[in-house]
Amino acid sequence: MSGKTFDKAKFKEYMKTKGWPFLKNILINHNYVVSLILLLIIGRIASPNFLSFASLINLIKSSAFIGIIALGMTMVIISGNIDLSVGSILAFTAANTAIMFNNTHSILLSVGYAMFIGTLLGFVNGFFVGKAKVASFIVTLATMAAFRSLTVQQGQGGPILIDQEAYYSILRTIGYGTFLKIPYLVWIFVLIVGLMIFLMTKTKFGRYVYAVGSNEKAAKLSGINVDRIKIYIFSLTGLLTGIAAFLYVTRFGSVDTATAGKSYELDAIAAVAIGGTSMAGGKGFIQGTFFGIIVLYSIDSVLSALRVPAFVNDLIKGILILGAVLLQKVLNNRKVNN
Amino acid sequence: MIIELKNIYKNFGAVQALTDVSFSIGEAEIHGLLGENGAGKSTLMNILGGVLPPTSGTIVIDGTSYTHLTPHQAVELGISFIHQELNLVNDLKVFENLFINRELTKSKIFLNKKEMIRKSHEVFKRMNIDIDPTLFVRELDTLEKQLVEIARAILFESKLIIMDEPTTALTDKEINNLFTIMRELKKNGISCIYISHKMPELFVICDKYTVLRDGKFIDSGFFKDINENKATELLVGRKIIEDKDIHRNQLDTEIVFEVQDLSCPPYFNNINFNVKKGEVVAITGLFGDGRGELSEALFGARKVSSGKVLKNGKQLNLSSIKSVMKSGVGMIPRNRKERSIIKDMNILNNVSIAHFTSQHKKILIKNKEEIERFEKNQKVTNIKVGSPKDPITSLSGGNQQKVIFARWFELDSDVYLLDNPTQGIDVGAKFEIYKLINYLAEQGKSIIVFSSEFPEIYKVCHRCIIMYRGEINKIFKHDELNEVDMMFYSTGSNKKE
Repeated sequence: MSGKTFDKAKFKEYMKTKGWPFLKNILINHNYVVSLILLLIIGRIASPNFLSFASLINLIKSSAFIGIIALGMTMVIISGNIDLSVGSILAFTAANTAIMFNNTHSILLSVGYAMFIGTLLGFVNGFFVGKAKVASFIVTLATMAAFRSLTVQQGQGGPILIDQEAYYSILRTIGYGTFLKIPYLVWIFVLIVGLMIFLMTKTKFGRYVYAVGSNEKAAKLSGINVDRIKIYIFSLTGLLTGIAAFLYVTRFGSVDTATAGKSYELDAIAAVAIGGTSMAGGKGFIQGTFFGIIVLYSIDSVLSALRVPAFVNDLIKGILILGAVLLQKVLNNRKVNN
Repeated sequence: MIIELKNIYKNFGAVQALTDVSFSIGEAEIHGLLGENGAGKSTLMNILGGVLPPTSGTIVIDGTSYTHLTPHQAVELGISFIHQELNLVNDLKVFENLFINRELTKSKIFLNKKEMIRKSHEVFKRMNIDIDPTLFVRELDTLEKQLVEIARAILFESKLIIMDEPTTALTDKEINNLFTIMRELKKNGISCIYISHKMPELFVICDKYTVLRDGKFIDSGFFKDINENKATELLVGRKIIEDKDIHRNQLDTEIVFEVQDLSCPPYFNNINFNVKKGEVVAITGLFGDGRGELSEALFGARKVSSGKVLKNGKQLNLSSIKSVMKSGVGMIPRNRKERSIIKDMNILNNVSIAHFTSQHKKILIKNKEEIERFEKNQKVTNIKVGSPKDPITSLSGGNQQKVIFARWFELDSDVYLLDNPTQGIDVGAKFEIYKLINYLAEQGKSIIVFSSEFPEIYKVCHRCIIMYRGEINKIFKHDELNEVDMMFYSTGSNKKE
């Protein structure tokens, strides 16, 4: 305790100038924090184990793959686009990373290869959106089908297996190992979140992404090379998906070409929406998506703690996504009207 | 219909948009509503149109009091609101737009196209205009679109039509047509509330005026009792800056900017002109003169088919906006909302964006530098803001435009292209923009102003280039310039003999 006595007037003054505006800002601009806290409280009431350190870490760990992809998706959506192909990019990249690993038994080469393939596929999306100026929804709808089909062809409809001996001795540590009791997956995820927040708030590139999403014409007339920015955005999302694919391989040890990464794009978009990013572009936060993905994943565990039959999980998820977005809309409208 | 708005208050949070405003309009009256941007005109009209509820006050319509109206009620009562951004669906036909949401039907299921088209013809005939109701709205020009909106109001027997700056996109001839129709409506007992920044028009068409300033009622009366100076004084609340405050500086002989044989069919052809150091050149013309396209081409935003542009003797690379910017050419585009403002960003970031693309070498950005950059330019451009971190959309039009000026001042370019720089801003802010243009010229910048307003051109330019159908028709020095000649050459009258 400091020697100072509690000064009531000072506290009041502080709340008036700093405290309330801060809380108001949280409530209006970052209300995903509120949804998360609510959900955690519900979970805690339902099950005393729920809010333990281990369960939280577990939550973040299980959301890492889609979480990393959702970070890229946030950027894509802020720029006023959408990427439906991330699930297929993950499958294709994971399958080829597995093959690479089987041939080389090298972590470094596998990571590099995964990042390369991911970026390349993202670039294909970016090229058609940026240069050919086709709507991103259509481009990525097409590549979603195409990349998946290539993957399934590669696996001849079945899984691509990893050399089990090498997997256990080399790769598995990454997917299951821990550092300071926290899994590598969590470290990597949080590190990428930090990097992405930095990229989006402290660099010119981040600023351009917002500008393009908010007013493309004005962005262009301010000298921003809009086509190129779009290519970068999709390539970077590809790169992140490539990293997620590599982690996926280390975690699961095989890649089922038909189902790997299936409907990841939907979960990623849901996380972005819960995180408060505007679907119309121009507005949003990386940290929002981080909370969004945790909310999305804690729904499952909260529901099981509440002993809700698993069949209705998705129904409740759907309701919560809609509810979160509606809440933001209401709060936003109030902000505009005030 | 007699409408009275009594003691209307409206606040948005802490911001008091309207304070104790009263307003009334009778039958067969054209009433001019005057006020600078942010004076509360739109808020008041939105309350009348049922878009916003007042915080307190009453609305009395033909003796019935309302605390607020809903949009539906307003329409039922016969109030039509024609917004500045026209509310027509481009991909529907004219008659479909006229009857939108009130379609005529056969046995309640099938659309009665024939009847709708017949009635459309009828209403156009009443208005004495010739528009084919089966055309798509996108094929119409701006005046025709405006007329379609008015036709819609007449069709459903509106008794009051609110027009928010209906003439900004119209030529003089079209404006006269519009006025004829408004007078015709007046004869039939229909009233209009007419919002405009253009003083001469208000005196021509309106009977009564009401002036708002800073959300307060200032004055109301008959136009015949006041003159333009008096009106402007009421509007800005201070003696207007005399024209002599704006002057033209002495010219250097050095040619900075040179356009040679620039063509971009079908918009413009064979454009040749130059701009000296410290010179302000205005480019004007009427709809279809190609000056908008020319401004884009000079900035590298539109591909040209031939010709070149030199700056200080060096050819500009017109295929890249960024490269044009780096060569020292800045541009303030027309239509601020669509082309300049990045609406989701705050004021600071809006100022910085062009600096980042052309001058900021580093990858990282620093908050502190942004604030310094803003403050430096704020001094010059006199932007009034609460906090520079407020969203840009919280500012009035004039202040938004000053933020855009700040964006380009920061680059310290040698040549500035200003495309319709005073579009949609009020008288006070316009003068400040003219002073900024002055200031730039004094700094030895070369300036090209694209504008269609004679008083503006006359105030600021050294030379005026008049375009007609994509070609330079005439170049006037400032001393030779007058409005009659400008119209003569803008309409291509010299070529019609």
